[in-house]
Order: sequence, then structure tokens, then C-alpha cells
Amino acid sequence: MKDHLRAVSGQIIAIGVALLMGAIIILMVGESPVRVFMTLLRGAFGDQEKIAGTLLQTTPILICGVAACIGLRGGMFNVGIEGQLFLGGFAAAWVGFAIPLPTGIHTLAALALAVAAGAAWVAIPAYFRARYNTNEVVSTILSNYVAVLLTSYFTIFLFKRPGGWSETPPILATSYLPEIFTFSRLNWGLVIGLVLAVGAALVFRYTKWGYGVTMVGSAPKFAEYGGVNVKRQGFLVLLLSGAVGGLAGGVETLGVHHRFMEGFAPGFGFDGLIAALLANGSPVATIFTALFFGALRNGSLLLEVDTSASREIITVIQALIILSVSAQVLVRKRGDSQAGERRWKF
Amino acid sequence: MLSNTPGSPTLHSTAAMAVELTGITKRFGAFVANDGIDLAVRRGEIHAIIGENGAGKTTLMNILFGLLQPDEGSIRLNGEEIVIADPSVAIKAGLGMVHQHFKLVPSLSVADNVFLGMEIRRHGLIDHAAQVARTRELSKRFGLQVDPTERVGLLSVGIEQRIEILKVLVRGARTIILDEPTAVLTPQESRELFQTLRSFVAEGMTVIFISHHLEEVMDVSDTVTVLRNGRKVATRPTAELSKDELVRMMVGREVSFDRRPRASLHGDVVLEVKDLWARDDRLLPALRDASFTVRSGEVVGIAGVAGNGQTELAEVLSGLRPASHGVAWLKGQNLTALSPATIREAGLAHVPGDRMVRGVDRNASISANILMGRQHRAPWSRGGVLNWSAIGKNAETLIKDFDIRARGSGDAVKRLSGGNIQKVVLAREFTNGADFLLIDQPTRGVDIGAQEAIHDEIMRQRAAGRAILLISVQLDELAALADRILVMFNGRIMGEVAGDDADEERIGMMMAGVAAPEFATETAR
Repeated sequence: MKDHLRAVSGQIIAIGVALLMGAIIILMVGESPVRVFMTLLRGAFGDQEKIAGTLLQTTPILICGVAACIGLRGGMFNVGIEGQLFLGGFAAAWVGFAIPLPTGIHTLAALALAVAAGAAWVAIPAYFRARYNTNEVVSTILSNYVAVLLTSYFTIFLFKRPGGWSETPPILATSYLPEIFTFSRLNWGLVIGLVLAVGAALVFRYTKWGYGVTMVGSAPKFAEYGGVNVKRQGFLVLLLSGAVGGLAGGVETLGVHHRFMEGFAPGFGFDGLIAALLANGSPVATIFTALFFGALRNGSLLLEVDTSASREIITVIQALIILSVSAQVLVRKRGDSQAGERRWKF
Repeated sequence: MLSNTPGSPTLHSTAAMAVELTGITKRFGAFVANDGIDLAVRRGEIHAIIGENGAGKTTLMNILFGLLQPDEGSIRLNGEEIVIADPSVAIKAGLGMVHQHFKLVPSLSVADNVFLGMEIRRHGLIDHAAQVARTRELSKRFGLQVDPTERVGLLSVGIEQRIEILKVLVRGARTIILDEPTAVLTPQESRELFQTLRSFVAEGMTVIFISHHLEEVMDVSDTVTVLRNGRKVATRPTAELSKDELVRMMVGREVSFDRRPRASLHGDVVLEVKDLWARDDRLLPALRDASFTVRSGEVVGIAGVAGNGQTELAEVLSGLRPASHGVAWLKGQNLTALSPATIREAGLAHVPGDRMVRGVDRNASISANILMGRQHRAPWSRGGVLNWSAIGKNAETLIKDFDIRARGSGDAVKRLSGGNIQKVVLAREFTNGADFLLIDQPTRGVDIGAQEAIHDEIMRQRAAGRAILLISVQLDELAALADRILVMFNGRIMGEVAGDDADEERIGMMMAGVAAPEFATETAR
């Protein structure tokens, strides 16, 4: 419990330091930090529409964050969530516009293909990791570029909406993820994300599979000694992580855009990974860190309207958070550098 | 315990001594790493410090170099008493240490690494040319062949070590400490290193090197100090020693454990190993043609200096390393074809030698550690769902039964002492119903009280009819517990002795690689 408190306070200090450094940078560009942060807060939580907008931004970050948590728990750094999200998003769109199905079933079928696409995409690096011990960080990062460009190719050359932008035809209304409120595009994807986060936490804690995976992640030699098949669990964990990454794309397509377009959800995969790291790999804590990043994203929309600061300041603050969280982890793990290196191996 | 009495006259005639340690004691919690060690190193000699893993060699040298502070004892350099608060004091006093793990910057050149932190400057800038010239001069003088302009990242480990030595020389060391310098070297590189060490001595410098290789100690050193279990056994001129004398001093002559009383209850053969071969991580043969049996109710000991194939034997038997040839039957099932999980199902319990890495997840709770290996079975899990309340209750019971000193089953294992961590491993492995117990170094780094408790537990398991293979580098431990002792050298089983007739003379000979041919062939089977 004391460890818990220390971890949480560490992350909060890290965020605090990042915001402080962000404030200095805001001062340097000649804007008032107080005004910028107040505007951010107002933009994120000012009224019910803004809150719904924040939750809408939170949804894909949360699902991607859960995907990252699953990988981290098994000692796998899935940096390819962005690519899995794109492929999942495209797969869901394809089912949505190409295969007419009854309402409900249509949505489920589209989500199922999104899941399959994400899993299939990560299966390549996962196989190389299990078979040849290839570093999954590098191979999943690289797979992002291929995935993003592949979906661009599909949208521009194979499934382009006649006369439209670089986008597929709109999906059929039968495949929509239903919206929760009338005043926002916020949809049931958020519920899917919350259920996934809580579900993942329960699986890790209460199933023997989750126990084995946790041991593979935190003490691989011990797990091997105890009879856990380390390579197979590593493979499965990456596959599952990729599947959830694909699902994030499906939710984004069916709930928000109702079509697939080039560059449709930039950075959600990476934000999810950062949210998961900030949450120390805990899916439940990722709900809150994802909300934090969602609020930053949504709040930044108002930033350029109301202040002279660019919304890029949000990217700067995010980068500062990554820096201070990794510095914090390095300080904390100094006595246990092996564990530190394992988690921060790039 | 030849010269454990402080101030034995021959060793303490001050003036000629480069280093004198007196009564050095260092404790880590309840574990005594160095226990009243006296060490005197004459100026201009190569002084080897030899001992098993965990004998306290590195601790002692870290104290001398200021990396650790002794709890008791004093240090004199060149006859003058000194407090070495940190390594900078040691370096100023003319000491230099080459560690086991090198600390070099791969992206910098050799010369830049050598002068890192004490760069030669001109007009405030680093004078690379001068650094290169100085490095070249030093490397020529001592036969340390390196190209000062090469980038370190491109070089082999052997050359990296030369750079570390150059670093020490540049900082003006007159007494050089090397921690297991040959562990990372090829035989050729080792020979070159020894030549360099001799050239140091020829210039009036002093060399202290740590080793557990008999051969090289016999080859290069002038004087040997043997450490065992944190105590000094003896300091002797190398010329007066023979190899098997050295072995016996390393593994100990005085038996500190009494032989445990036992009833003979030899039952059926549980483990049968036949013509077993295995390779080490470098793919060299490390286990050669081992054949033996273990019966139920029997403790078979494996003796040997560490690194003679015991680790590989344990790993093959537990499924963690493939056998390259031969078979091992556990109750009729061939282990060499099975995974670690199926070997456990077949009836193996394994107390691993590398306890902290293999034996536990240090960050997990005691409950979670005890669950390992039995998470597939009721009542611990049903239909894939864990029953944490049953797991926790079981852990609480085992904490009581095995006298594990912890606040509760939720305690993280890393909060426990070494002995209590080992008890967690034993509690898990001895209660999973296995017929064959593979126990590797059960009391390494464990305090005396816990050692007794662990030995008691092993004897209880024997009485319960388990077949036990006990691997230990401590002869006295084997003499206390084993019914039969097999001696390994260079991957082979050299011979066998009965436990109640543990003739240390004969065991020592076999551990040093002197075969006792009349035993080796018949009784090992």
C-alpha cells in the first residue's frame, strides 16, 4: 500500500513539474500561464458539451491505453498501437459500408473485424519476437508506418468515395455505435473503454492466465522456472494488445467519423501508450490518465480562440510529462536498474 | 584458520607492506560478509585472493577501495593508517580498481575514455592529441595493445579491460586491484593480461587480483589468500601450495555442521540419469556423460567447485536447458523431452541456485510467490479463476510452518532477508507434493539460524520418502546431509563417496580434477 502511495505521488509530482516547465515556456512566448491553464480547463470542462467533448477525446486514448497496459503487464512494449488503430478503423469502415447487415449485428461484426485486423497486424512483430527474440519495440514502431500508409493506399486507390476527399464511402447507419447524448457525438465507445479497463484489471488479478502473464512481465526467469511458457504468453499478450488497439480504431470509425479517412485519428495510439505509462501499467489508473490527456486535447481547441498561445503548447506539455515521468521512474528505480531498464528499454 | 589471529608476526612487518587490512568486518543485515579479516599485501607482489562465490572477496576489495565502509577494522596503506571514505580517497592514495563490469562510454574513443573526468586541457579545451599520445605511451610501456583513437563501442571485451587498466594507470595507481579479471577473457587474452601484471610488478607496483580459478592463481601469483564464508582461511606463498591443498582450503576442512542422524530407508529409484551431456550458454560442453540414480528417502549430494557443470545439470533436470545427449528418467518419464511445466507435473520440485532471479518475483507478495507452479490446481484455481482467499490462507499457514519472518502473506518478498526469501522458496517447493526434490545451494548467503532450519526441513523431506538431489559448493553441508556424495569436475562426475565417510582428502583431490579411477567408473552409476 505504501508502494502504491509512493507511485501515485511520484506521478503527480511528475505532472506538476511538467506543468511548471510548461508554464515557463508559455511565459517565454509572452502569454500568461494562468490564462492558458484556465482556458484549457474551461475548454475541457466548461459546460456539458465541453465535458462530453473531453470524454469523446478520452475514449480512443483510453482504449489504446488499455491495449498498452496489456502489453506492459506481460513485459511487452507495444509501440504499434497507432498502426493497429488505423487498420482496425479501416476494417470496421469496410464492414460498415460494404456488407449490409441488420442493426446491432452490423456494429458487432465491424468491431470484430477491427479486433481481428489489429491482432493480425501485431502478429507479425509478435511472431518475430517469440521465434527470433526480435526487439518488439523496434518492429512495432516500424509497423506503424506501414499500417498508416497501407490504409491511405486503401482509401485513396481502392475504396475512395467518388468525388470526395481521401475517404471511404460513409458507413451504413446500421453499423453506427449509438450516441449517448443528443448534444454530442459521445457514444458507447466510452462504455466499451471503461468495461475493458476494469475487465483487464480483473483478468490480471483474478485469473491464472493473468497471474502467469504478470509473472512473465515482472520476473521472466521465475515464470519460466515455474512452468509458464514465457514465449507463448509473450506472443498472446502482444496479440491481445494489438486486438484492443484495433478495437480502438473500430470504435473511432463507428462512433465518431462514420467513415474512414486518411489520417483519421492522429496520435491516439501514442497518447494511449503514454497514458498507460503514466498510470504505471494499471488499466484502472489509465482511465484517469486518459481523461487527463483527453481534457488537454479538447481544452486546446479553445486555446487558439481565446489566447495567443498555439495549441501546440499541448504537445509541448505532453512531451514534458513524458520526460518528467521517465526521469521520475529512473530516480525511483535506481536501486533496481534492471526493472527500470525493462520498462524503459528505448 | 591458519593466520586468523591478528598480528601474526611474519605478515605484519610494516614497512614493506603496500596494504594492510586488520580485523575487517562487514555485515549486511544478519549476514556477515567479512568476519574479522586480516590481509597484508607486500609491495611489489602479485597477491591472489581466492574463494568460492559469496566467500567475501569482492566485499573486501570494495571496502579497500572505499566503495563500502567496514563495520569494524582498520586499513593501512604503506604503513600509514587511513580512512577510505570513498573511492576518490583511494585513488589519491595510489589505489586503482578494475571492476568485473566495465564502465566505459561506447561512443567515445579509447583515449577519451581513459581520460574521462580528468581530461588534459589546453586553453580550456580538451587536448585530444596529448591524450592520445599519453595513452599510446602507457599502452606501449605495459604491453596493453590498444589503438587510442578507436571508438570503444567497436572493441572486444578483452580490449575494454585493457582500457579500464589504462584508466587506473593514468590516475596514478601504484596498487592495482582486479576483480575476477579473467572471467570475461579468452585463454590467450588471459595470458597477455598476466604478462601485463608481471610488468607492473617489475616496475615496483603491487597487484591484488580476485579469482576462483585455481590454475591461474597457481600460475601468476606470488602469494595467495584464501577466503571462505567471509573468513580468512590462510595467506601462503604460492610456491608452497599444491592445487588440491588450495581446493581444500577453499571449500573448507573444518566441518561446522554435524552429520544428521538418519535411518536408512532407501526405496525405489525415482531419478535415473544416464550418459547426460549438455552445453553451456557459450555452447561449449559443460556437463559430460553424467550417470547416477537417486532413490526415494535418499539425499544424493553433488560436490564441486562452482562452475564445473552443476548449474547445467540442475537446468537440464528442470527443463530449463536442453540436453545435448543422454536421458534422465523421473519415475519412468524422460525429462529431457519435457517442458518445465510438464516436468513439474511429473513430480519435480526445484529450489534454484539463483534464488533472486529464478526462485522468486521480488516485487510480488509472498502469496503470489507461493502460488507459482500450482496455479493450475484446485483449490488455488477453478475454471481458470484464482481463489485468492484460499491462496492467502495457505500462505499464512506456510509462513507459520516454515517460520518465515514476515508481517503477513501480502508482504513483498523483497522486504524479507535472504534466509527468509529462501524459506519462501522452500515452503513453495516442499509442499507441492513432488517426489523428487532438486535443491541447489540451499543455504548460500543465508545466516546460521536459517541454515539450521533449512537443513532440518531437508531431513524431514528425506524422512517423508522424497528423493533428493542436493547440489552444494559447501562440503560441510554435504557431509551433514548427504547419504552419498558425487564429485564433479569439468562437467564430469569424478567419483563417489559415502556421506558418513566423507573423506575430504579424496573429495578435494577429485574436486581439483585428480581422478580416483578405481571409484570413478563403477560407483558413479
